[in-house]
This record gives sequence, C-alpha cells and structure tokens, in this order.
Amino acid sequence: MAEFLMYLTNGLVMGVINAISAIGVSLVVGIMRVINFAHGELYIFAGYFSYHLSLTLGLSPILAMPLSVIFVFLMGVLMERFLIRPTYGDEMYSLIITFVLSIILQNSALLIFGPYPNKPPTLISGATSFFGLFHYGNQRLFSFIISIAILLSVFYLIKRTWFGKSVRAISQDREMASLMGIDHLKVNMLSFGLGAALAGAAGVIIAPIFPVTPTGSSAISLTAFVVVVLGGMGSLKGCVVGGLILGILENLGAAYISTMYRHIFGFIILILVLVFRPWGLFGQRT
Amino acid sequence: MRRVVFLVVLVVSFIIGSLAFAQETIKIGVVGPRTGPAAATGKAFEEGIAIALDHINAKGGVLGKKLEVVFEDTGGVPEKAASAFEKLATRDRVPIVVGESHSSSALAEIEVANRYKVPFIICEAWHDDITKKNYRWVFRAGPVNSGVVDFYIAPFVKEHGFKKVAIVRENSDWGVGIAERTEFNMKNFGLPFVTLKVERESKDFYTELTKLKGENPDIILAYIYGTGLHFFVAQAHEVGVSPKALILDGAGPPSLWDSFWKNVGKAGELELFMSSMHEKVHLTPTSRKFWEDYKKKFGKDPSDYKTRSIYNVVLIAADAINRARSTTNEALVEALEKTNLEVTTGIVKFGLKLGSYEYHQWMPPMLVVQWQDQKQVVVFPKEAATGGLKRGR
Amino acid sequence: MDKVEFMRFWIFIPFIFLTLFLPFFLSQYWLHVMIISLFYVMMASSWNLIAGYTGQISFAHAAFAGVGAYVSGMLAVNMGIPAWLGILIGTSIAGLLGLGLGYLCIRMGGIYLSLTTLGFSEILRIIITNEDRWTRGTMGLQIPGFFIEYSKMSYYFLFLIVSAFFLWVIYRLIRSEMGLSFRAVLNDELAASSSGIDTIRVRILAFTISSAMAGMAGGLYGHYLMLITPDIPSLGQMFLVLAMAVIGGMGSFIGPILGAFVLEILSEYIRIYGEYHVLLFGLVALGMARFAPGGIMGLLEKRWRLREMS
Repeated sequence: MAEFLMYLTNGLVMGVINAISAIGVSLVVGIMRVINFAHGELYIFAGYFSYHLSLTLGLSPILAMPLSVIFVFLMGVLMERFLIRPTYGDEMYSLIITFVLSIILQNSALLIFGPYPNKPPTLISGATSFFGLFHYGNQRLFSFIISIAILLSVFYLIKRTWFGKSVRAISQDREMASLMGIDHLKVNMLSFGLGAALAGAAGVIIAPIFPVTPTGSSAISLTAFVVVVLGGMGSLKGCVVGGLILGILENLGAAYISTMYRHIFGFIILILVLVFRPWGLFGQRT
Repeated sequence: MRRVVFLVVLVVSFIIGSLAFAQETIKIGVVGPRTGPAAATGKAFEEGIAIALDHINAKGGVLGKKLEVVFEDTGGVPEKAASAFEKLATRDRVPIVVGESHSSSALAEIEVANRYKVPFIICEAWHDDITKKNYRWVFRAGPVNSGVVDFYIAPFVKEHGFKKVAIVRENSDWGVGIAERTEFNMKNFGLPFVTLKVERESKDFYTELTKLKGENPDIILAYIYGTGLHFFVAQAHEVGVSPKALILDGAGPPSLWDSFWKNVGKAGELELFMSSMHEKVHLTPTSRKFWEDYKKKFGKDPSDYKTRSIYNVVLIAADAINRARSTTNEALVEALEKTNLEVTTGIVKFGLKLGSYEYHQWMPPMLVVQWQDQKQVVVFPKEAATGGLKRGR
Repeated sequence: MDKVEFMRFWIFIPFIFLTLFLPFFLSQYWLHVMIISLFYVMMASSWNLIAGYTGQISFAHAAFAGVGAYVSGMLAVNMGIPAWLGILIGTSIAGLLGLGLGYLCIRMGGIYLSLTTLGFSEILRIIITNEDRWTRGTMGLQIPGFFIEYSKMSYYFLFLIVSAFFLWVIYRLIRSEMGLSFRAVLNDELAASSSGIDTIRVRILAFTISSAMAGMAGGLYGHYLMLITPDIPSLGQMFLVLAMAVIGGMGSFIGPILGAFVLEILSEYIRIYGEYHVLLFGLVALGMARFAPGGIMGLLEKRWRLREMS
C-alpha cells in the first residue's frame, strides 16, 4: 500500500509538471495552429541556463531560475518572429521548420553544453515522511508547489488579463479578432514566447531532480504532445487533466507492469485518442 | 556554380592531402566511444594512446617507421561501431585494429573483422562470445565476463559473507552476460539473489530501487556502464537502500570518471568498483613506467584503468608487427599467437585452444576497490589488498 | 521539348553511363558510400511522394523502413527465410501498416497526421528496443546478407536496380492522372475536392505506396549491413531523410536524389572533423525551408529560367 501511494504521489507531481509543459504547446497550437517540435529543446536549454547561471556564474538559484525562463522566453519570441511568422498559412512548412529547429537545438546543446547530464543545485534537500509510510524527496514536493503556483498564474493570465482575452479571441476567430483591433501578430509573438517560457519553467523546475541531457529533449516534447492531444488541442483544462492522467498512468504502469515500457503508455494513449476521439477530452470538435 | 567549384576544390585538395601523408608512417586503427554516454572512456583511450605512441616511437617506432593511430568513434552503439571498423578496414586500410569498450559494439565489429580479415585486439569488451566464437582474426587482451565473475566478483561476495545479493543489470550484451554468470555462481554458492533489469540509458531508478528496498539485500551488483551508474548510486542513497547495502560497480570506469563525485555527492562513499589499476599495486616495471610517464604528461595520477588497457593493446599490436616484420594479416595473426610481452598488468600470452572463450584470450588480474574518504582502497583479492572492507549502516 | 527538359536529357545519358561503370573504379569504401546513398535515394524519393507532392508531413518513414528491416531480418534469423522473400514480406507489412495508419489519420488533417506518425514511430522504436529477447534491441541483431557470397559490387547493382524501379514508379505516378490529382490536392485542397477529386483516397494511396517503398528500402539496407538496430526506425534517421528531401528540393523529382547523394557524401567528409554533419544539415535545411523552399533544385531552376529570359 505504501508503495502504491508513493507511485501515486510521483504520478501527481510529474503530472502537474507535464501539464505546465503541455500548456506551452497547447497555447501555441490553439492560436497559431503550429506545433512547436522544438519544445523539448527549449525545456533543456532552460535547464542548462539554470545550471550554468547557478554553478558557473555563481548566482543564487532563486535568481537563476527565473532568469533562465526569461532567456528561453526571448528565444521563443525570436523563433516566432524570424522563423515561424513567414510561414503563416502554410502548415507544412511550419512543421518542417520546427522539427529541423529541434534537431539543430539538440545538436547545439550537445556541442555547447557537452554530453553529460547537468544538474542545477537543489533548493531543498532531504525527504519528508508521508504518514510514516514512505519517504518523498523534498525537492520534488517543492517542485509540485511551484508548479501549482505557475498553473494558477497561467489560468489567471488567460482568464483575466487583456492578453488572455486576446488569445481566446484569436483562437476562436482570427479575422474577427483582428477586425476588432487586436494586434494579432504581437499576440502571436508573445504567445509563442509564453509557450517557450512555460517549457522553460518546466525545465528549471525539473532539472534539479532529473538532470538535463542533450538527448532528453525528444522524450519531453513527445510527452507534451501526448498530453495536448489527450486533453484536447487548445484546452488548458485539458492539459491539466491530461497531464495528471498521463503522469499517474506512466508511474503506475512502470511500477506494476514493466519499467521498460514506461514511455509506451503515453504513445498508446496518443494513438488511441487520435483514432477514436481526435479532439481529445476537452477540445473543440472541428 | 561557384559553390560547386569550391566544393570540388575542397574535395580534391583533401584527397591529395590525405594521400601525401600516407607513406612515411604506419597507422593502426583504434575503435572506442568518443561520443555518447561513455565518452569519458574515449578520453581515457586518447590519453593511453598518447603515452603508448610516445613509448613506441621513442624506441624507433614500428618497422623503422613512426607509428600513428586512427581513432574512429563508435558512439557506444553497434551500428556506428561496425561502420567505424569498416572505415578503418576499407578507407584507412589499417593492418590491425585495437580497442573497444562495449560488448555489443565488439560483437558487431568482430563480424566486420571476419569479413575483411583484419586482425582485431580487444581490450575492454567483456562478453564471453567475443572470443568464444573462436574467430581466427579476433584476440582479446582484457577481462572476460566469466573470468571477472568466477575469479573476482563471486569470491569477493562469498569471502566477505554477504547474505542477500541483488543484481541490477542493463539490457546490453555485457549486462546480460555478466548477470547470467553471476546468477550461475550465486546458485552454486546457494546464496539468495534477485535480478532486476534496467534500460541502458535510463536516468531514473526510483521504481527499481523501491522494489530493491523491499528485498533487503546487503550487496548490490550494479551492472550499468555509463553515467547511468552515477544516477543509480545517487538515487540508491536518496531512497535509503545504500549504504546499508553496498553497491559494486561491475564495470569500474564510471566510478572513476571526473563527473562521478559531482553527480553522486556523498553517496559515493563506500561504493565498490572493479578496476585493474591502483597506485600501490604495480605488477611489472612497465606499470610503474606508465604511472610516472602519465603523471609527467598530464600532471595528475591516472585514474581510469582503461587508459592502461588501451596502452597495453597498442603495445601488443606494435610488438606483433615488429616480430612479424610485416603488416599482412596472416603474418600478424601468427605473430600475435606467439606473443610473450610484458605490459602494465602482467605478461601477455594468448590462449590457443579452440572450443571455449579462452581461445585468443588473455585476462589481466583485476581488483575490487572501495571508495573510503574519497580514496581508493583495494579490498580484494587479499594478496593485493591495501585496506579492509568497510560496511555501511 | 523546352530547353530545360532538353538539358536534363543530356545530363541524364552520361549519368547513366557513369552509374553503371562506377563500381569498377571505386574503392570498397566509396562503393559503400554509394550504396548508402542509394538507400537514401529510395527513402527520400518515397518520402517526397507524400510530403512534396501531397503535402503530408509524415514522421513515420524511418519507422516503416524499420518494419521492413526487422520483419525480414527476424524471419531470416528465426525461420531461415531467404532475404529476397523476407524483404517482400517486410514490404507488404509496411504497406499494410501504411494503409491502416493512412486510413485512420489522413481524414484528420496535417497536424494530426504528423503527430500520429511521430507517435507511431516512437512506439515502434520502443517496442523494438525493449523486446530484446526477439530483436536484441540496442545490442543489434546480426542477420544474413542478401547474397550468399559477400560482394559490394553485387549490392551496388541491387540497390541501383531497386532505386531505378522506385524512381520509375514515382515518375509514372506523378505523370499519371493520379499524379495530377496529387498536385491539385497540394495546391488547393478546397478546389480539388470541389472538382470531384476524392482527395482522401488519393492521399491514402500515396501514403500506402510510400510506406511500402520505405519498407523495401529498410529490408535491403538491413541485409546489406547485416546488422539491424533500433537506429533504423529512429527520428534521427527520419531527420536525415527529411533534410535530404528539403535541401534537394521537395516537390521536384530530382531533388531528393540530389539531396541524398550530396548529404551522404558530405557527411563522410564532415565526420572526419567530428559529428557536426547533423547540425550543419539542420542549419542548411532550415535556411532552405525558410528562404528557398524549392531546395537546390528550386534554386537551379530559377537560375536556368532567369538565364533563358535574359
């Protein structure tokens, strides 16, 4: 029983982080109908920035983490402005461009940061005992709390601010939105940047637990895509629910069925959803 | 159009350049992981090669010519390894290839060696089949799974009275092979054991470690090669499995890489690992010379024993070419079979009886070492021990 | 014939001559490079059929090659089935999977197809990696060669013949009525479907043929290397195929052929300095996709047209 609770807890924690990662993708898909294949790479770049800012430059992690996220935000903005924007209307080329970009970033990470896993320093060490049943790492609990905070902030951003309203307007009807005076190009750029920043946030939160490596990015991108499809493209609620479901399923599946197939649960979900209910749990039926 | 011309010029000058330098030296091939999770071994190889070349060329080189090495990257995976060997055989046309530190890669390479009939001396790929296949062109001057387990790991476990053994093995040829041999030995001893499988490039072992905790082992034989081992050791400590259960790194080098202490922190204390090198254990004068020259050249003590392994096989190759007075493959194989050469770990003599892994095999003595206060202490075998085994609480 | 076609024809003849007599001049090493290039010609051209001509970006192409390689390889190792038969079986299975996948996803549009093929590709790779009792996973599976006696020249001609066959099939497809529908669908799907073209059927057919071709290419590749690993159905290989088509020129006939040879030969040279060729190709592919979507062929054609006009 204690074991089951531990796996469940692990699943919840990972699930929330999956959700943040997925929101980054979902936002961009919802507005721009563009899938950012380079999502995982932005995640690891944030991890690498966090590592180097803390350990190589000696900044405190409290400073390094947000700073890394800002750097990745800027990367996203630049990507949108110079690479994605010119391909508007052409779905095919944006797919190709982000896919190629992901390969470029992956290889660049290998060249710039080296092949070894980089682990930014943990903020809290030790483990907490849960009702005396099992020990759970404190850093993981801390990550959980921060992730919830970020999720709430994003929801607030989308529901209450002008930015959020513009985003929702554009994803419903782009032409109408721009006729109403919304600068849709600017919103696109900021959304892409925000998507990147969310990937980066997930990265800096997780990196102290699971070090970043140049090859780890594909798994992260793919997990995010599965969550987005499961939850429904463009649905933020879907990302949270999907992320939790995936996190729990993967952890329980790995524990009770087979550790080697941990990642396959996600993909099977992907294919099943796409075949039987392509719009996901909460997506719009187009 | 201009671009095409530029490319053509580049290509032609390259071809001319590579032809011009071909004549005055003898090149041998080295295969090893210069990239990938075991890239640190590639670095270790580079260092060993450098010292070997210094020694050999100082004594007049090979057949009067300077000896050079072409070091092809295997990336630690068999498809790249086979391709690397093929390049050495067809593009560089080396008379002999040495090296390798991954069993799966080696198993792929020996097929290519057989196809092109190029002699191949392996230094650190341990799977029995590599020599058990009895390929005429394949030699091994290095550890073999059965030897390592039968003569070192199993007796170590028995002698120090461990009661419950956990085997954690990666899904690579080496991992599978050494785990099977270990299980065989444990069954013979009547020692209870449990085996867990992990993915080769895994970084998260929480699930497996939680299962292990329930089994209550007092020794964990970790057959994981690469930085994955670091995560295993660190996480074992986090979950509370170690240091109550001691962990033995069945390969060795990952516990010796620079990044080890960075990645495991205090979890590295009391960790055990296999090695064939220790500063206080010098079996031959060559060993001492290697140690001193390494210190002089690199400004630090050698730490990764694979620097010596590659040094040894380069020496063996050069010695064979010199004695054969030729670079033809048949002559080299005959010369290799007659090898009687002193290297850092003893005197090399290859087995000649067909039918088992001992054909064309020579195994150096190994050591079981423990980290105590970040210092290496040899704890097995008794004759070479520099200290006693410390247990964890 | 207009001038462009005329020039193409005259480049073609000596080219054929060259390819037939090449193996007698080349060293074993360069012959090997040629054979690998031909494998990529098969892969890039068949991927171009769906991506360049019908606008569907599939990421499962390398996976289908993996299907061909592993089906054929495992049949040979476990049941002694000769390579030529194994490859045919592998091709059929790849084609069937392509049909199934195509039928399920194509009705849902571009992004969904890309995501599904991505998912399918990774699932396949994970299954192959983990079922190592059968496939030996990342340790690699030794499989018998296509020919009983190993001869690089034989493999060269084998690959050459199959590549030529693929190109002929693709050429006929594009020039046929079906091919016109392909391009109609690519250029304006709405218009195409309102003029009665069953766009879905057209795409599914192209996807099936393309997957079968990838399967055959994979089978041949496996029996040439005599070693198969989960690297074959990997996204890394997928990227190479994509880069070759994009850099060579998507939507053109010669583009993928050119891309395959150029990138494969270049990578051999770049590898001397280190594993930079992937990064380099990525940057070039990105540049092409952004600034010169027609690839090298697109640039060349523009040059020829401009020169004609002046």
